Amino acid sequence: MEAEVSPPKILAEHGEPVMKTYEYKESLALFKRAAEVIPCGIYGHYSPAPFIPVDAYPFYSRRGEGARFWDVDGNEFIDYMCAYGPMVLGYNHPKVNEAYQAQIKLGNTLTRAPKLMVELAEYFVDLIPMADWAFFAKNGADVTNYATMVARSATGREKIIAINGGYQGSAAWMQAIGHPGVIGDDQKNIIRVDWNDYAALDRVINEHPGQIAGFIATPYHHPVFADSEWPAEGYWQKVEKLLRKEGIVLIIDDVRTGFRLDMRGSSEYFGFKPDLVCFCKAIANGYPISALVGTEALKNPTAKVFYTGSYWFSAGPMAAALACLEELRQIDGPKRMLQMGKKLCDGLVDIAKGHGYTLKATGAPSMPYLRISDHEGLMFHQDLCGECTKRGAFFAPHHNEFLSTAHSDEDIQRTWDIFDDAFKATKQRYGV
Amino acid sequence: MGSELDERIRANLNLYAVLQNLEDLVQLDSEMAAKTKNWDVTIQFSVNGGPRAYLAFKNGVCTHGRGRHENPSVKLFFTSPKHLNAMLDGKARPIPLKGFTKLGFLSKEFMPLAGRLAYYLKPEGGLLEDENFLKINTILTLHTALFAVGELAALEPVSKHLAAHMGDGILQVEVPPEGPYVALHLDHGAVSVTKGKADNPKARMIFKNLKVANDLLNDRVDSFRAVAQGDIALKGHVPMLDNFDLILDRVRAYLS
Repeated sequence: MEAEVSPPKILAEHGEPVMKTYEYKESLALFKRAAEVIPCGIYGHYSPAPFIPVDAYPFYSRRGEGARFWDVDGNEFIDYMCAYGPMVLGYNHPKVNEAYQAQIKLGNTLTRAPKLMVELAEYFVDLIPMADWAFFAKNGADVTNYATMVARSATGREKIIAINGGYQGSAAWMQAIGHPGVIGDDQKNIIRVDWNDYAALDRVINEHPGQIAGFIATPYHHPVFADSEWPAEGYWQKVEKLLRKEGIVLIIDDVRTGFRLDMRGSSEYFGFKPDLVCFCKAIANGYPISALVGTEALKNPTAKVFYTGSYWFSAGPMAAALACLEELRQIDGPKRMLQMGKKLCDGLVDIAKGHGYTLKATGAPSMPYLRISDHEGLMFHQDLCGECTKRGAFFAPHHNEFLSTAHSDEDIQRTWDIFDDAFKATKQRYGV
Repeated sequence: MGSELDERIRANLNLYAVLQNLEDLVQLDSEMAAKTKNWDVTIQFSVNGGPRAYLAFKNGVCTHGRGRHENPSVKLFFTSPKHLNAMLDGKARPIPLKGFTKLGFLSKEFMPLAGRLAYYLKPEGGLLEDENFLKINTILTLHTALFAVGELAALEPVSKHLAAHMGDGILQVEVPPEGPYVALHLDHGAVSVTKGKADNPKARMIFKNLKVANDLLNDRVDSFRAVAQGDIALKGHVPMLDNFDLILDRVRAYLS
């Protein structure tokens, strides 16, 4: 979805940038130590590499509160990455922290399963209309991977259809061909089709009769380095019908989008019923837990698939999850984030327009992908995000941003001011 | 490695990625410049079921070209890609089809030039500590790597897949301000290479200095660490840079 361009509420002032910019000496010093003892220094999605220009970003954080975090140099940021999504109610949220601490005092990882696990599963079943059961793990990839195992167990078939450019985690089958450590056999049973291409999905299913176990996709397409794409009108309904006819398990990866569109799961937002839904990021406001929920028909097949981890029965994150989900439900967190995200994006679009540029905002406003579209490639946008970050509004140039319920009107006003000053600095650099 | 496809890829790398370095070598190395100053000879390399390329030396300039030269003075034929690769490993001889009177020139004049190229591309001992050697080695290695990326993108299945996901446009690899600058031009997965600065690159990989470029090209440095520490700056379309890096890894495997 593109943010609507409303009449400028903020008239960009042309002229010299005036805001003081940050330095990251402690971050860099710490990174040099890290690089001696940790591969890459910082690996995975926290790697500094895609945050371009690298010297515009801090590497290490010290603390967080509400919608803000502070880095090891003492710089303060309004955070539009929200720890890549887990921060949904604001850092250090008292209700979630209290619930976690209270449970930790009783015990965390004990010898038998925690009572809270039952309560949390009941909560999920009550909250998510399609869910008849819930299964808990730690990370998004734990449950996306498990979902494919369940689909294979349930159907007796091997192949999984996924979306080109989609991200389901970092297990070998989820990565693209050619990445180190990934071999051809890892991808042997993965077939990829383009997003929104119903005809391709239909064709692939026809080309592999009786072989497709599951289709896994996000509720809308939110790749990195590219605009997000909403499902075409009727896409999910047609897909659901086709998969039902073919006996293929429909798996929704709601890891990133879950509880930022709809408390009942994003499939409710788009009006269709999957067989399995994977949740993670927004479940517990940063405490480690993920969930796979499913329909009654898949309960027994799931029971047969052995899958576990050392910390999957930790009670603390389950207590945090119950507190976080209940708080999100009570305040209608998704609605608030969608509204605040729209407000943020509308203002940013207006400021960009005032500077003579087009800021394209795609995807859900609660997690918008932003891109200056006047320049081919991302260089101008990367520099603009870097200038914002050096002034205290942390924007990623390669990934969708995230809103939380803690982002306030004051935060957004401050962000607009920063964006305007950063625009002046970026234009100055480009000589325009 | 050793399959028919691997031999074909190695032959392409040898003729199109490695041999083109002679263009620069006769400019960068004063001894080789003096040696080739008065050469007037064109050598055609033709591989049955494989690549064709020529080297034309005239007025102190070496020109490398793909395909067939109109009027070469020497024609060297190879029965297969494997035959060419064996010759370049010093384990076989080419079949001369034209220029029999030049065979002495080939062994006495041209082969030392080729040997000098190997001297720069496969440095021994502490040669890289010499500033001028480092410069020449880096330029030649960079050119080899980028031309090799183009060949792998055309022939090797995994690299083809990676190249198809790079997007269209120009990726410039550079060591500013003095260079070298090399550009990969991408068009629906097809890759061509030009030496020198390019207009409007969609992505840039910028090395802080020749030493950093040399270390990365020879896999002596963790690229993520180098990026974070500012030794390598990346700009623009990241999938282009990511997939380039992945193909570069595969180039190293073939050229090692």
